[in-house]
Amino acid sequence: MKVLLIEDDLTIANFIKKGLKEAGFTVDHASDGIDGLHLALGECYDVGIVDLMLPKLDGLSIIERMRERKINMPVIILSAKRSIDDRVKGLQHGGDDYLTKPFSFSELLARLQALLRRSTYVVEASTLTVHDLTIDLLARTVIRSGKKIDLQPKEFALLEYLMRNERHIVSKTMIMERVWNYNFDPQTNIVEARISKLREKIDKGFDDPLIHTIRGLGYVLKKPGD
Amino acid sequence: MFQITAFCAAYWLINAVLYHDVDEDLREDIREFKMLYNAGAIHRVQHEIQREMMTDDQSKVFFRLLDSHGNILFNSDLSHWPGLVTDSKVIQQLISVADSVTQSIEISGHEYATRVIYGVIAPGTILHIGESLEEQVEVMEVLLVVFSVMFVLVVPLASFVGWLMARQAVQGIEEVSQTAANIESGQLDQRVSVKARGEEVQKLANTFNAMLDRIRDLMLEMREMTDNIAHDLRSPLARIRAISEGALSSHMSITEHQVAASDTIEECDRLLQMINATLDVAEAEAGTASTQNEAINLSKLVNDACELFEPVAEQKEITLLCRVTADCRIDGNIQYLQRMLANLLDNALKYNASGGQVRVELVCTEKNITMTVSDTGIGIPQSDQIRIFERFFRCDQSRSQHGCGMGLSFARAVARSHGGEISVTSQPGVGSTFTVMLPFVK
Repeated sequence: MKVLLIEDDLTIANFIKKGLKEAGFTVDHASDGIDGLHLALGECYDVGIVDLMLPKLDGLSIIERMRERKINMPVIILSAKRSIDDRVKGLQHGGDDYLTKPFSFSELLARLQALLRRSTYVVEASTLTVHDLTIDLLARTVIRSGKKIDLQPKEFALLEYLMRNERHIVSKTMIMERVWNYNFDPQTNIVEARISKLREKIDKGFDDPLIHTIRGLGYVLKKPGD
Repeated sequence: MFQITAFCAAYWLINAVLYHDVDEDLREDIREFKMLYNAGAIHRVQHEIQREMMTDDQSKVFFRLLDSHGNILFNSDLSHWPGLVTDSKVIQQLISVADSVTQSIEISGHEYATRVIYGVIAPGTILHIGESLEEQVEVMEVLLVVFSVMFVLVVPLASFVGWLMARQAVQGIEEVSQTAANIESGQLDQRVSVKARGEEVQKLANTFNAMLDRIRDLMLEMREMTDNIAHDLRSPLARIRAISEGALSSHMSITEHQVAASDTIEECDRLLQMINATLDVAEAEAGTASTQNEAINLSKLVNDACELFEPVAEQKEITLLCRVTADCRIDGNIQYLQRMLANLLDNALKYNASGGQVRVELVCTEKNITMTVSDTGIGIPQSDQIRIFERFFRCDQSRSQHGCGMGLSFARAVARSHGGEISVTSQPGVGSTFTVMLPFVK
C-alpha cells in the first residue's frame, strides 16, 4: 500500500511517516503544495494525507486539481481548523475524511484503513460473518452459533460498523461520526455504555468474546486467535 | 444679526403691501371715471368728483382733469395743495405710451408724501388724482416703533431663554461625555445622573447607563473567565511539566516511561478539549450567520438523542423519559442543536443519582418550540443559577470535578444563535429543569 503525505510541518510528517512504515505502508512525502501536486499527478497512490495550510499551494486546491484530472484516490484532510464550516468545505472540495490537529496516530491509522477498505469494496455482500457471528444486512438479523439475537436498530448499525472493520480498531470518535452522525464527543461515555450493552447481547454466554476494548484507542471486533 | 434681517424683511414687506393697496385704489378710481366718462361725457365726471370731495378730507385727496397739453379743465378744491404742479413728462408719456402713471411726490406744506396717478379716461382728457400717504406713513412709523421695542426687549429675552435651554441640554450631554471620559480613564462604575432634564437628554443618559451596565457585566465576566482559563490551563500544564521532568531526571524503567508518555497525552487531550470548547462557544456565539442552517426535524433529533443516552442512563440506573411532539421542524444548525441537547442530557445524567429520573420534553406550537430537560439531581443553589451559563463557571468552586464548565455556555450560545433563550429553574436536592425556547420560524 502506497501513501502520499503532503505536510509542511516536519515533526508531524516524520511522526506520521515512522508510524505508517511500522504499519507496513510505503510513504512518499512532499513538504509543499506544488511538490505534492506533482507527486499526486505523476505517481499512483492508494491513499493521500493532505494538510490544508501548505506553502505554495493549499491543500484544498491540490485536491480540487486532482479531482479535475480524475485522480480518485481517497484523501484524508489534516487541518488545525476545526470549525464545522471548515470540515464541510473540506469534504465538499473532494476530501474523503477530515482529521483535526492535534490527533493521535492510532486515530489517523484507523481512518486510513477504513478509507482503504471502503474504496476497495467491490461487491456489496448481503451478509457479514466473523467467526460464529453472522449478520444479514437485508433481513437485519443477527445469528451467533445458530442462536438468533435481537438488536435495536442503532445496536445493529454499531455491530455492522464493527464487523465491516473486522480486526481493525475503530475509535470512539469514528463510531460517533459513522453510527450516530455526531461530529463531536459528548463528555459522558456514550460509546462505552453502548458497547457494553452490545457485548451483553453478542458475547454474554459465549466462550469467546468477539468485541474487545483497546484502552485509550477504541474498540475492535475480531475472532479468537486473531 | 438674524433678527435684524428678519425685522427689516417684515418692515419692507408690510410697506410694499400698503403702497400696493394705495396704487390699486388709485387705478380703480381711474377705471371708474373712465366708465363714467364713456357713459355720460365730462360733466358726469365733474359731478362725481364734486360728490367725492364732499365725503373725503380735502387736505388728503385732490382731483384734476387735464387736457393733453396739461391745461386744467376742472379741479377739486386745491386750497390745501398750493404747490401742486403738472409733470409735463408724464403727460408726454401718457399720450405716446401708457394708460396710467403713478408717482410719489413731495408737495410743499404737506408733511407726508403724496401718491398721485395720471390716467387717460378719454382721448385728450387726463384725470390726475392725488392721495396723501399720511395714514400709510403713520402705520409704518408705529410699526417701526413696535419693531424697535420688540428688538430691544424681546430679542435679548428670547436669546437669553434660548441660551438657558441650550445650556441645560448641552450640560446633560456634557455630563455624558464627561462620564465617558472618566470611564476611559478606568472608572467603570461611573454613571450619568438622570435628573429631570429635556426628555431627549434623559433618554440619552438612560441608554448610556444601560450600555455601561452591560459593559461592566461583560468586563466582570471576562475577568473571571480569564482567571478561570488561566487556572484551568495551568493545571494540566503543571502536570505535564511534572511528568516530563520526572521522566528526565530519575532512572525510570521502559514501562514507567510509557506510563509517563501516556499520562502526558491524556493531559494534552484535556487541554485540547478545553481550548476546543472555548472556541466552540465563540463560534456558536458568532454563528447566527452560519452557512450551515438547514431544515431539521427536531422531533427526530430529540428522539435520537434520547436513544443515544438511554444505555448511559440504564447503566446509572436512571429512568430516561422522552415525550416529543411529532414532526416538529426548524431551520437551524443540526450539529449545534444536537450538541446543545447532548450537553443538557449529559449534565442531567451526571448530576443525578441512581434511581433518579431524567425527563426530556419537546413541545411545538405554532408560535414557538419548547425543549425541556429536567432531572432529579443535586440541583443548583439559588445564588449560582444566573451564573451557570457563564463561560468556565462551575458551581464546584474547587474545580476538581471533571468537565470544563463550557457545556451550558455552549447551550446558551446555540439557543441565542437560533433566536431563542435558555433558562433554568432549580431547587437544591430536588432537581433542575432547563428550558430552551426557540422561535418557530417557517
